[in-house]
Amino acid sequence: MRISIENFTKSFGDTTVIEDMSLEIGDGEMLALLGPSGCGKSTTLFAICGIHRMNAGRLMFGDADVTEVSSQKRNVGVVFQNYALYPHMNVYENIAFPLKVRKESKAEVDRKVQEIAGLVHIGELLQRRPMQLSGGQQQRVALARALIRKPDILLLDEPLANLDAKLRLEMRSEIRRIQLATGITAVLVTHDQVEAMSMCDRIALMDKGQIVQLSTPKDMYESPSSDFVAGFLGNPPIAFLDGTVADGGFRLANSQVTLPVPSGIEVPGEGAPMRFGVRPEFFQPGNPLKVPGKVSFVETQGREELYDVTLENGAVLRSIQSQNAGFKLGQEVSWGIEQDRVLAFGPDGNRL
Amino acid sequence: MTSSNFRSWPLFLVLAVISMPLVIMYVYLFVDTVTDTTAGSLIPDRFTLHHWRFLWEEPETGRVSIWTVTLNTFIFATCTTLINVSASVTAGYALSRLNMPFKRFFLGGILTLHAFPTITLIISIFLILQMIGLYNTLIGVILVKAALELPLGIWIMKGFFDNVPWEIEMAGLQDGASRFTVWWKLVLPQVQPGVAALSVFVFLSAWSEFILPQVLAPSGSAQVLSTYLSNLIFDDMKPDFNMFKSVGVFYALPVIVIYLIFNKQLMNIYGGGTKG
Amino acid sequence: MRRAHLLGLGFLSPALAIILMLFLIPVLLTVMFSFTNMSTATGISGGAYEINAASLRKLADAGAQESFVETLGKESFVVDDAGITAAAAAYGEQFANEVGSQMLGERFSSRRDLERAFRKLKSRPRSTRDIKKAADLFKRSVLNIRFETAGGLVDAVTDNGIEMTPDQQELLTKTIYTGWTWTSDNFALMAQIPYVWRVAGNTVLYVVLTLAASVGMGLFLAITTFYLPSSAASSFRAIWFLPRILPNVIFVLMWKWLAWDTGFLSSLLANFGVPPRNWMLDTGVNAWVFIVLINGIVGASLGMILFGSAIKSIPQSMLHASEVDGASRWQQIRYIILPQLRWPIMFICAYSTLSLLTSFEYILLSTDGGPGGATEVWSLMAFHTALDNYAGNLQYGLGAAMALMLVIVGILASLVYLRIFNFNDLVAKPRIEQ
Ligand SMILES: Nc1ncnc2c1ncn2[C@@H]1O[C@H](COP(=O)(O)OP(=O)(O)OP(=O)(O)O)[C@@H](O)[C@H]1O
Ligand SMILES: [Mg+2]
Repeated sequence: MRISIENFTKSFGDTTVIEDMSLEIGDGEMLALLGPSGCGKSTTLFAICGIHRMNAGRLMFGDADVTEVSSQKRNVGVVFQNYALYPHMNVYENIAFPLKVRKESKAEVDRKVQEIAGLVHIGELLQRRPMQLSGGQQQRVALARALIRKPDILLLDEPLANLDAKLRLEMRSEIRRIQLATGITAVLVTHDQVEAMSMCDRIALMDKGQIVQLSTPKDMYESPSSDFVAGFLGNPPIAFLDGTVADGGFRLANSQVTLPVPSGIEVPGEGAPMRFGVRPEFFQPGNPLKVPGKVSFVETQGREELYDVTLENGAVLRSIQSQNAGFKLGQEVSWGIEQDRVLAFGPDGNRL
Repeated sequence: MTSSNFRSWPLFLVLAVISMPLVIMYVYLFVDTVTDTTAGSLIPDRFTLHHWRFLWEEPETGRVSIWTVTLNTFIFATCTTLINVSASVTAGYALSRLNMPFKRFFLGGILTLHAFPTITLIISIFLILQMIGLYNTLIGVILVKAALELPLGIWIMKGFFDNVPWEIEMAGLQDGASRFTVWWKLVLPQVQPGVAALSVFVFLSAWSEFILPQVLAPSGSAQVLSTYLSNLIFDDMKPDFNMFKSVGVFYALPVIVIYLIFNKQLMNIYGGGTKG
Repeated sequence: MRRAHLLGLGFLSPALAIILMLFLIPVLLTVMFSFTNMSTATGISGGAYEINAASLRKLADAGAQESFVETLGKESFVVDDAGITAAAAAYGEQFANEVGSQMLGERFSSRRDLERAFRKLKSRPRSTRDIKKAADLFKRSVLNIRFETAGGLVDAVTDNGIEMTPDQQELLTKTIYTGWTWTSDNFALMAQIPYVWRVAGNTVLYVVLTLAASVGMGLFLAITTFYLPSSAASSFRAIWFLPRILPNVIFVLMWKWLAWDTGFLSSLLANFGVPPRNWMLDTGVNAWVFIVLINGIVGASLGMILFGSAIKSIPQSMLHASEVDGASRWQQIRYIILPQLRWPIMFICAYSTLSLLTSFEYILLSTDGGPGGATEVWSLMAFHTALDNYAGNLQYGLGAAMALMLVIVGILASLVYLRIFNFNDLVAKPRIEQ
C-alpha cells in the first residue's frame, strides 16, 4: 500500500519537532528513515501508526485519508525498538494478541500463528515467555506479532539496535527476506547507515525534522546532496578538506596547495569558501593527483587497513587499502586523489 | 500518557462525578468555618468569624485552652518523629548492610511485628503504663507511638539503604574510614531524601493519631488536638458543626501545608515505594 | 562473637530496646492478661480477702452450704486476752481478773449468753447497759476485715472457731478474693457472649466489603487518572489522596456532617420531601454503607498510589504496541495493564486484610458499632470490652483474650505472606565482610 505524508508538522508543547515534511512511499517498497539521534525518526513513525496525532498535514494510505483514524483501525504492524513484548504472555499469546482483540476464532488464530511462526522460524518457542528468549528470538516474535494480521504497512523502529553484531547481520537479511516474501510496504527507522543501505530500496535521510535527501542507497552514497549526507553515509567516513576557490581551482586553507575541481561542476566566485569530500577508497597511492602528508594513524581491520594522513595544513585525509601495503606510522607519503570522484560542496554545504 | 488514540473527556466526566461528594465535603469544610447558614438551607448566607472564637476566648470550665492542646500535639508529634527516625535509621542500616547473627530472624520479626496494630497491644500497654505511672502523660504516648511506627520506619529506611551503591562504602573503607564514619559521613547523606520522607510521614501520622492519646492519656493536661476535637463532638448534645469544622481546619492546617510541600515524597512513601 | 557482629547489633540496639519494651512485652502480657479475670472491679495490682455481705452472697452463689455461709456471717464471743485487757481498761482490774480467772477461753455464740455469764460474776458492772458494752469487747467476727493473704483469713476464721473442710476453705478463699486471679474462663466466656458470632460475621463482612471497595476504587482511580492529561490527573489524585493524610477525626467529622439530621444529605433531600434523619445511624444497612465508604475511600487512596506507580512502570512502548495491534481501551486495560498489576493487587489484599482486621478507628469515630451493634467488629468489641464501655466495668482480661485471637490470626497471616512474597529476596548478603 502506498503511503503519502503531506506537509506533516508535529510539535510537543512549544517545541516543533517536525515541520512541513512530505514523503511518498511506494507500494511494496522498503524505505529507511535514517538520521542522527533526536532528528524525529520515531516521531514520524508514530505519526504513521497513529500513536501521535499530526498537528498539521495529511496522511494517506493508498487513496484513504487516515489522518484522523485511530491506531486500532489503521492496520499497521509495528516492531518497537525494545520489541515491547508483553511479559505476562507466552510467545504464542503475544503473537495471537492482535487476532484476540479482533475476536477471531480459536482455530483461525491457531492456524495463523503456526503459519507466521514458521515464516519467522520460531515454531518451537511458542510456549516460552519473552524473558526466556534471546534478543534475536524476541526480535522474531515481535516481527511475527506485527505481521500476523496481514497489515498493510510494516513499521520497524530500530529493530536491530539491541542485537550483537553477528545477530544483526543475520536479522538484516532475515527481515528483508520476510518483507520481500510478504510484499508489504515497510518503513525502517534506523541511525545505522549500513542497515539502511543494505536493507532498503530507498533511504530518506533526516536531519532536525527535515528530509534532506530521498534516494536509493547507491545514489545517496555516490551523489549526496550535501556535506551532511556525505558525512553520514560511508564507513569509514568521508574526509573533508576546507578551502577557497582560487584561480578556478581549490586552494586548501592555510596552504599553497591547489587542487583542480572535478569536471562538470559550477565553480563559485573567486575567493568563495568551498569544501572537498574525499572518500577513503578514492585516496590511494596509485592515483595521479598527489597530495603529500604524513601517516598519523593506522588501524588494521583484518582484510583492510585504514590510514589517516595529515596534510601539511593539518587537514586529515583517510585511505582504505588492502592489507600488506605496510605503511608505518609517521611515514611521509604522497598519495593521490581520484579527481572525478571528489565531492565538492559550496559555502551552504550543498553539493555543487 | 502520550498516545492520542483514546479520548480523555469521558473519563474526566466520570471521575468528576465520582469525586463530587468528596469535593463537596472539602468545600463545606472550609466554607462553613467562616459562614452561617440558615437551618434547612444549603447555601451559606452570612460571613462570620464567630466559629473561630475558640482561638481567643477563655475556654469553658473543664476544657483546656486550644493553645495548650496544640503545643501538646506538636511536642507529641515532634518527639515521636525524633525517636522513631533515629531508631529506624540505625536499625535500617544494620539490617541492610551490616553483618550480624540472626539477621533473617530480625527481618522476619520486623515484618511480623507490622501485623500487630494498635488493638492487639493497647490493652496491655494501657495496663503497663498504669503500673509504671506513665498513664496520662505525653511521654507514655510518645514512646508507644514511636514504637508502633518503628517496623514500617525500619523497613522503609532499609529500602533506602539498599539502594545506596556498595561502591560508595567500599571506596570509603579503602580511604581508611571506619565503618561508622562511612555510615555517618558517606551513606547517611545519600539517604537524606529517605530520612526526610520518613520524618514527614511519622510526623503526620503522630499529628493525626487518635486512639493512643484517647486511651493512654485522656485527661485534660495531656490532651492532643484529636482527642480535644473528638471530645468536643461527643460531648455536645446539640452539635455545632461550624465550630467543629473550625477546630478541624485549625487541626488540619499543618497537615495540608506539609502535604503541599512534600506531596511527591508522601505519595512515594504511602505507596510503599522506597526509591529515593 | 566477631567484631562485625557487634557493630551490627549495636546499630540495631535502640530499635531492639523499643521493640522489646513496647512490642514483645506487651504481646506477652496480652497473652498473660488473657488468662486472668482482671477488670476495673479487681484492679490491676493485687487484691485482698474480706468477708462481707456481698462476698457472702457470692459464696452462696458459688455453691457453698447454707450452714457454712451462715456461720461465717455470724458473730461469736470469745473470752481471750485481748478482750480482758480491753475490759480492764474500761471496767477496772477487778472485773477483768474475775473474767480472766473464771471464763478464759470460753466461747459464746450470742451476746446474750455472754451477758448471762457476766451477771454471775461479783465484780460485774452495775448497769445492764455497761454489761452489754463489756460483752461487746469480746465480740469476735471475721466480717468486714481485710486480710492481705489467704492464710490470714483462714487463721482468723479458724480462730473464731469455725471448722472448715479443705474444700470449703478453697471455695472460700477463691470466691471472696477481691483482686484478679488466673483463669482460663475468658475463652469460654467469649464463646458464651450472645452476639459474638454476629461480631465475627461483621468482621468478615467488613474486611471483604472494604477490601473490595478499596481495591476496586483504587484500580479505577489509578487507571482513569493514568489516561488523563497530567494536570487533570494530579488534581484528581490530590482529591483522592487527601483522605489518607487527613486526621481521621476530621475525615469522619466531614461524613458525620454529611449524614447528620441537620446536615447536607438531609437538607438536600428535604427539597424532595424526604424527612430529615441521621442517615449514618438510622438503619444498619445505612451504617454499613457509610462504614464501607469511609474505610474504602481511605484504602482507595493507598491503592490509587500503589497501582498508579505500577502502571507508570509499564513501558510506554508496550501500550503503544497494543494500540497498533488493535486493542481498544478496555482491551488494553484488560489484557495489558491488569495482568501486570497482579502483584500490587495481591500485596494490597494481603496488607489490607491484616490491617482491616485489626483497625477500628473509623468505625469507633463514626458509628461506634451502632446502631444496636450492627457494625460492631471484633477489634472494636475488644476495645469496648477492655477499654471503653458504658457499664464502666472494663474487663481487661476478657478484652485481652479477644485481642489475643487477633494476634494469632495476625501471626499466621504474616507467616503465610512471608512465604508468598518471597522473603529470601529481601535478605541480601552483605558485600563488605568486616
Ligand atoms: N513526548 C515528547 N515531548 C517532548 N519532546 C519530545 C517528545 N518525544 C520526542 N520529543 C523530542 O522530539 C525530537 C525527536 O524525537 P524522536 O524520538 O523522533 O527522535 P529519533 O529520531 O527517534 O531519535 P533516536 O534515534 O534517539 O530514537 C527529540 O528532540 C525529542 O527530544
Ligand atoms: Mg527513536
